[in-house]
Amino acid sequence: MLDEIRNTRVDKVILICVLLFSLFSLLAVYSATHGSRVAAIHDNFYKQIIWVVAGLLLFFALTYVPLHIIFSLAYPLYGILLVMILGIDLVGSISGGAQRWFEVGGIKVQPSEFMKPVVVLTLARFLSPEHANPNRLKNLLIAFAIVLAPFVLVLKQPDLGTSLVYLSMVIPVLYWRGLSPFTIFVVVAPLFAFLASFNYYAFSAVILLISVVLYLSRRGKRVAWTVFVMNVFVGTLSPLVWSGLHGYQQQRILTFLGLVEDPRGVGYQIIQSMVAIGSGGIFGKGLLHGTQTQLRFLPAQHTDFIFSVLAEEWGFIGSLAVLALFFVFIMRAIKIAASSSYRFASLAAMGMATIFAFQAIVNLGMTMGIMPVTGVPLPFISYGGSAMLTNMTMAALLSNAITQRYF
Amino acid sequence: MLSPDRTTRIIQLIITGAFIALAGQLFNLQILQREKYAVQSEKNRSRRLRLEPPRGIIYDRSGTPLVENRPSYVLSVIPIEVRNNDKSLAFLAGLMQETPDEIKRRLARADNPFLPFKLRRDIDYGVLVQLEEHKLEYPGVTYEIESRRTYPAGLKSPHLFGYIGEISKSELQRRQEEDMLPGDLVGKKGFEAYYDRELRGQVGYKVVIVDAVGRMASDQTGSSEQAAKRGRDFYLALDANLQALADSLFADKRGGLVMVDTRDGGVLALCSKPDFDPEIFTGTLTNEDWQRLVNDPAKPLYDRMIQSSYPPGSTLKMVAATAALEERKANQETYFSCGGGVSFGDRVFSCWNKGGHGSLNLIDALKVSCNVYFYRLSLRLTVDEWALYASRYGLGKRTGIDLPAEEKGTLPDRAYLDHAFGKKGWTNGMMLNLGIGQGDLLVTPVQMVQYTTIIANKGRYYPLHLVHKIYDPRTQSFFRQKLAPRTVEGISDATYDIIREGMYRVVNSPGGTGHNSYLDDVVVAGKTGTAQNPHGEPHAWYVGFAPFDHPEVAICVLVENGGGGGATSGPIAGRLLRRYFDLQKKSPALAAAPKP
Repeated sequence: MLDEIRNTRVDKVILICVLLFSLFSLLAVYSATHGSRVAAIHDNFYKQIIWVVAGLLLFFALTYVPLHIIFSLAYPLYGILLVMILGIDLVGSISGGAQRWFEVGGIKVQPSEFMKPVVVLTLARFLSPEHANPNRLKNLLIAFAIVLAPFVLVLKQPDLGTSLVYLSMVIPVLYWRGLSPFTIFVVVAPLFAFLASFNYYAFSAVILLISVVLYLSRRGKRVAWTVFVMNVFVGTLSPLVWSGLHGYQQQRILTFLGLVEDPRGVGYQIIQSMVAIGSGGIFGKGLLHGTQTQLRFLPAQHTDFIFSVLAEEWGFIGSLAVLALFFVFIMRAIKIAASSSYRFASLAAMGMATIFAFQAIVNLGMTMGIMPVTGVPLPFISYGGSAMLTNMTMAALLSNAITQRYF
Repeated sequence: MLSPDRTTRIIQLIITGAFIALAGQLFNLQILQREKYAVQSEKNRSRRLRLEPPRGIIYDRSGTPLVENRPSYVLSVIPIEVRNNDKSLAFLAGLMQETPDEIKRRLARADNPFLPFKLRRDIDYGVLVQLEEHKLEYPGVTYEIESRRTYPAGLKSPHLFGYIGEISKSELQRRQEEDMLPGDLVGKKGFEAYYDRELRGQVGYKVVIVDAVGRMASDQTGSSEQAAKRGRDFYLALDANLQALADSLFADKRGGLVMVDTRDGGVLALCSKPDFDPEIFTGTLTNEDWQRLVNDPAKPLYDRMIQSSYPPGSTLKMVAATAALEERKANQETYFSCGGGVSFGDRVFSCWNKGGHGSLNLIDALKVSCNVYFYRLSLRLTVDEWALYASRYGLGKRTGIDLPAEEKGTLPDRAYLDHAFGKKGWTNGMMLNLGIGQGDLLVTPVQMVQYTTIIANKGRYYPLHLVHKIYDPRTQSFFRQKLAPRTVEGISDATYDIIREGMYRVVNSPGGTGHNSYLDDVVVAGKTGTAQNPHGEPHAWYVGFAPFDHPEVAICVLVENGGGGGATSGPIAGRLLRRYFDLQKKSPALAAAPKP
């Protein structure tokens, strides 16, 4: 069966998913914007048509680009985008406001969005040689550096959502490349130490757990003590990091954890989204008949909360269809990663699969009230030009990873 | 295949688990909890709009509207949407000619930042046009229509009608069951306050579909409505012509007058001056305006006819006369001689006429208002005897007129004097002053007009009241309260005849102090008073009634520090009585007493 696929130039599953995504996006964005009295929002539907068409053209065009060219472009593109993001950060810090894009001919370009596939390709290229064993500390550090550089710059913009997207794929890609579970434990443990550090008992429990794992791993005293001390260090330092976060970031985390009541703030957004989804019922209120949507109770309804629009108007059946489409698409991406003949393509496919999965799960979970509001858009469906082109690019690269026989 | 199948499967498992969790939550929200969220979404989009009921209209006895409603526009904003929007604040600042900071400060006082807050009432047309033009550009900025009071007959009479203003926090608390909101306009003083519940009507509701910022959606299918019920209309016993005349006569004076129909107790005119413009209270009264009113030495905020009490002076001599006659301490032919003064203890109490009145009887003593006669007469009375009759004439008690905050004055009876001076701290010499209406005695003009009515009707009188009939728009019918007449016990017709004769002569005999109220064609009876007081010139009083044989009206006129009662207040009473009988001649129906 795979050979059959390789004989065609485009992966059919990916293509069908992309076309259905485009259709859903246009319907949802139309519904979310057509009733607005604000011209700028109203026009977003027409812009989205342009982005979908441009995205599909880009998708097909990229399927002609051989993998080795993409391989060789990875580092230069990474460098260019990093400089652009740095430039935006500087402008932002001078003008004193949040800055995520620059304008070219009236179009807002968001380099951090394009960085998503590029950071994956860069990591994939770095890890593709035989000698790039991630279990060696040097390689591990370089791999993390590749991701942390854009992560830090974008986090500073501030754009927590996008920066987390970069971070989301590091562990899966390294794991895919053969990183040992113990190393993953060593890398991930400080995260738990950080999260638990605000509660004395939770922190004690986490440290105890880490000690047990270290003891059972039988790695020798030096390694064990180093990891132990590192985690204690992180745990004691994190309250300082917390105070360094932006107020709204702290607010979001606290609201999500249910530690503060905030009827008209972040909590309000989630409540309105849940009301929209829940009131949709089994069959939904019908396209353009969602009251939450049409009366604009939904926050950012054409961008981050686009799924609530779909869920309200299309009901459980429609929502399940959207979920299924993402599931099929992501499973296909993992399958491609597992089936690709080349390590670079395989790693890149896994990275992109993770990015799609992370964004979809975090965004859908957010609209349903089971994930924090981090500002992650729903791939392919949310309004946005840079995101649409980025997603189409990644879809094309996924297709290439399985269909191209020659490197 | 670079990685083992196990790795693939672990990653697939994690993703599948996450999607199952998402689908589970979707099932939970859309199927298990659908009902709850459907209700919430319905609640979200529908909003109950209050429909303000039109306030009842106030008419005079002939149906002339005195207090009506007119539409007025209110600039209101939703504070949460405006207070951090510099553009909107700048726009509002331009409209209101205030600084954005001032507006921000006022918005901070709003009780609920999600509800419209009335920033300025009664905006003019230019501002309204600008609002209509730009309101879509500034979310949260809008206008409402509310009903304001207007006075088509030109009679603002703020002490009588009172005014309406924003409900206070304490009143809001007190009237919880009445469906009131902050910012509602309620009667604050006078008639508007006394009959606020009836005038106000009942709030209605309209359920409309609104969007997230509270704007009404264009599609309004499914909205329901419960109409507001307008307030009741009041027809007063008041006569607009007489009220207008009274207002004009007191334009430059401090004091006022009360004129009542002796046949039913209805108030024909009730005027207190100085007063104020009631409309300043419906707008947003500035603190400066308020301070000016409160600190004005002329005290324009007091209704002098019911909320102030004064020494009545000689107008009260009929009380001592009644007491002496009833207690058989004197009769019609009891003579005393006036040489211009009388000694009591180490003091000389003088008559207003330093030359003396010579020897005179009770009726002539009333006619010329001889103080010496009444000193001597009063000394025959005990304080208890005198106070009994003062009380029978209604002094020291509220008349119960349908206006708020009525004063009851001071009747210095034994209990009062014991309290004020101690049980042994006073003697019956008090009667010297009390008998001529001085001393600690204080009365309100409405008490005095009621006292005059009692004399005019020989003991039979109706409670003083403003309302003649009430129209209920719900039942489309008029309602008239049955007022039972009251009778004063313990004063005989013979006594009334004597003091009425005295009052007749005050106006109609040569040398009477009240000849200024004399009319050619109608017989008027009255009594003047010139009350000493600690605030300068004496207060000028006049009480009277007419026609003498079959009384229709009684009047009490008071000019603060006006000098002689006969000279200052007499002519005013004469003008009012003249106008009353002229009106009656022209159109008997208008001036005829509404049947009780």
